[in-house]
Amino acid sequence: MNIVVCIKQVPDTETKIQINSDGSGIVTEGIKYVVNPYDEYALEEGVRLKEKFGGEVTVISLGPERAKEAIRNCLAVGADKGIHLNDPSFEGSDSYVTAKILAKAISEIPFDIILTGKQGVDFDNSQVFAYLANFLNLPFVSVVMDLELSSDLKSVTAKREGEGGEKEMIQIPLPAIIAAQKDLNQPRYASLPGIMKAKKKEIKNLTLSDLDFSADEVGEKGSRVKVKNYSLPPERKAGQIIQGEDPTEVCEILVKLLREEAKII
Amino acid sequence: MDVTREIFWNVGNVALIVYILSAIVVFILVYGFYKRVKLWRVGKEEKRGDFIWERVKSVLLFGFGHKKTLNETYPGISHFILFWGFVILFLGTLIIFLQEDVFSPIFNLFFLHGNFYLWFSLILDFSGALAIIGVLLALYRRYVIKPDRLDNIFDDFFSLILILLVLVTGFLTEGARIAATRPDFERWSFFGWHIALLFNPSWIEVASLLVWHKIFWWVHLGLAFLLIGYLGYSKLLHIFSSSLSLFFRSFEPKGKLKPILDIENQESFGVSKVEEFSWRQLLDADACTRCGRCQDICPAYLSEKPLSPKKLIQDLKTNLLLSSKSLKKENPEEKRPHLVGQSISEDELWSCTTCFACQETCPVFVEHLQKVIDLRRYLVLMEAKFPQELTPMFKNLETNYNPWAFGFATRADWTKGLEVKSLSEDNDVEILFWVGCSGSFDDRSKKVSKALVKILRKANINFGILGNEEKCCGEPARRIGNEYLGQILIQQNIEVLKNYGVKKILFTCPHGYNTFKNEYPQFGGEFEVFHHTDFILDLIQKGRLKIEKKINGDLTYHDSCYLGRYNDIYDSPREILKHISDGKIKEMERKREKSFCCGAGGGRMWMEENLGKRINQLRVMEAEKTDAKTIASACPYCLTMLSDGIKEKGLEEKLETKDIAELVASLL
Repeated sequence: MNIVVCIKQVPDTETKIQINSDGSGIVTEGIKYVVNPYDEYALEEGVRLKEKFGGEVTVISLGPERAKEAIRNCLAVGADKGIHLNDPSFEGSDSYVTAKILAKAISEIPFDIILTGKQGVDFDNSQVFAYLANFLNLPFVSVVMDLELSSDLKSVTAKREGEGGEKEMIQIPLPAIIAAQKDLNQPRYASLPGIMKAKKKEIKNLTLSDLDFSADEVGEKGSRVKVKNYSLPPERKAGQIIQGEDPTEVCEILVKLLREEAKII
Repeated sequence: MDVTREIFWNVGNVALIVYILSAIVVFILVYGFYKRVKLWRVGKEEKRGDFIWERVKSVLLFGFGHKKTLNETYPGISHFILFWGFVILFLGTLIIFLQEDVFSPIFNLFFLHGNFYLWFSLILDFSGALAIIGVLLALYRRYVIKPDRLDNIFDDFFSLILILLVLVTGFLTEGARIAATRPDFERWSFFGWHIALLFNPSWIEVASLLVWHKIFWWVHLGLAFLLIGYLGYSKLLHIFSSSLSLFFRSFEPKGKLKPILDIENQESFGVSKVEEFSWRQLLDADACTRCGRCQDICPAYLSEKPLSPKKLIQDLKTNLLLSSKSLKKENPEEKRPHLVGQSISEDELWSCTTCFACQETCPVFVEHLQKVIDLRRYLVLMEAKFPQELTPMFKNLETNYNPWAFGFATRADWTKGLEVKSLSEDNDVEILFWVGCSGSFDDRSKKVSKALVKILRKANINFGILGNEEKCCGEPARRIGNEYLGQILIQQNIEVLKNYGVKKILFTCPHGYNTFKNEYPQFGGEFEVFHHTDFILDLIQKGRLKIEKKINGDLTYHDSCYLGRYNDIYDSPREILKHISDGKIKEMERKREKSFCCGAGGGRMWMEENLGKRINQLRVMEAEKTDAKTIASACPYCLTMLSDGIKEKGLEEKLETKDIAELVASLL
């Protein structure tokens, strides 16, 4: 079984995000990058499928040179091959362009299932898997919490979480795209032999010309979404503790505040 | 009539038979012992050949002197008198042998007579009697008192009874001989004389006495030979194996784990098969006598978790014995129980708080801790199998260099408003304050960091911190078994510290202190390190810190394992407390070397405590019994665990926790 896992390298979730002086982006200095947490669930599922049904897991990622480290981390927990879509002209690609480049690279390798996270925790667009499905003309299920392969390996049944928290069971034929939600599994920690072996595994570097794109099809030029300006959300105000001995009295103040200040009741 | 006795009296010319039999039983003993040595030798190399004189001293002090064994009165004394009784009886037998077979035939010298014989008889009789009392005490304790920590197997019973019978038949033989010959000087053989009085001529004739003597003599000889032969195949082997354990004890600092050297180029990590332990670690399996002192003091066992240090060593022994058979065969994996998972469960390994109480109390220097860590290393590094709550902890250490999910760039946020300088601003400082992860991120421990800053400023100490360049010291990762991550953090810290030319480092956390003091040198990081309790006491004693006021209310002090047992800092914190309080310290029942862990060591801080009782609550309840108002401590883990314990037990009104630095700072 050929399993492809799309991953993204994102700033660590604990990063103190700062906006650069002209508001055109974030300060990247001193940021620690990690594998997007949702992609880790996708990768874990991919490795489990491989362990169960055999085959190969290929990790693919679009990003600058530093993204190699993220791919290497995936190789340490059981992926077999890495593909790094790495070209300066790819920088600034939106979800649409990212999916386009990914689709091109994936279409050149064999695949039975494509797994990825339900969203990247940096921009939280949650679009790449859908675009990818469109480009590759494949069915997809997103926000997947549980995944089961049919015994003939021809279809998957995915349990997904709807907007309102309702659960849906969807069966689709393979090949298909699955976007992982966090309850899908418990991602493993890399064993030390795994880390050591990962250092020797191949990561294929693919550039603009390798994928037959022209520079104005990708990156900011090819993108449909342009970010005009970045700003930090307003700081959250400190909470208020209502003092008082008598619960009735406290409740009255609370109701008054909810009505007049918060205006939610 | 000469004051002596005839060797082989009344038994005829049997010397040759006796010596042939002796040679056979000694051979059986030596063969048994040789087989054990071979068994230990399946382990890996480990150098323990240094400090020869210290090693001999260990055997004299802890073996012949019973120094640790006597820490407990009843079992200590019963073993002591049994041991010494037998040592003297052995020497007595040796003297007889020398007289009979060396000095007499070769030099025609006869010394076993006259006053020497009388004293010889008295001392040997006395020793025999002591040994009997020792055995009876042991039997009484084992089968009547039945302490929880003793598990009885047939070997225990048989060994004690055999020893008893050897001793009793010895006295009966002596008594029969004295009764038959009745020399008056044999009053010196005090006990034998009284037994002789039992063989009164009024009911037994001399002729039948002679027959009885012969029977006793042969039975005594047979039992003694049985005992000697049995030595090499039973728990009695500990006479040799425990002595070897004492001789080959570790002289490394207690708080030093063996590193995995050249970790990048190794292929397997930790221990999953007995032969991956060192020979010294396997020797422990036979050195352990199942006395159970370790179990009696183990916080995991006492809080009803699956771990008992005694059982761990015994399970290792069982695995070693079962493996030894398949080790010889062509297919070495055949019918071999897995060391981890079958012989020793994963829960046992994760229950250990690495508090060191087991090793501290072990009379024969069994080394439990390194084994636990070696087995954990296998689970973590090879199998990536560990309690799942540790995954985020490891990832946090990897990305943010602290065990919690705090961004590394916020490490120095606690200094806001304090203007503590970091070395990146100015590295011309007297001492570096290593704040540590708890001191930087944990709200409770941040107060301790601030208190120490106040103290250092009052004492005009020019200090600095590393700020955001500080990373986890690596200690929790190493204790959990993630040697790789631990070493990465250690290397990175050493590099930063060397860049700034740091020489002296001050710690509030005993875990950081211990690892810097005892483990960083393994990786090329040599620094002069101080724990704040030693440091503050020094400031007080030198007059650099003047404390006029006193703390209100009674204090008790909780010893941190890594400060006390690991680094022998028991007195400094107590001295400070005496300085700042009116009353005496209200000590808890378990203190100093026997102090009870808070439950957070060995990475337990980041694991759920789902099994058994909560260790911190047991400790808090012990503190409550002292009627002290404040539990003083000197470790951020202890502070967290005890504070939680107080809350969990609803004792907030009665008890509070304070770090010693906080107590001192509150008086400045």
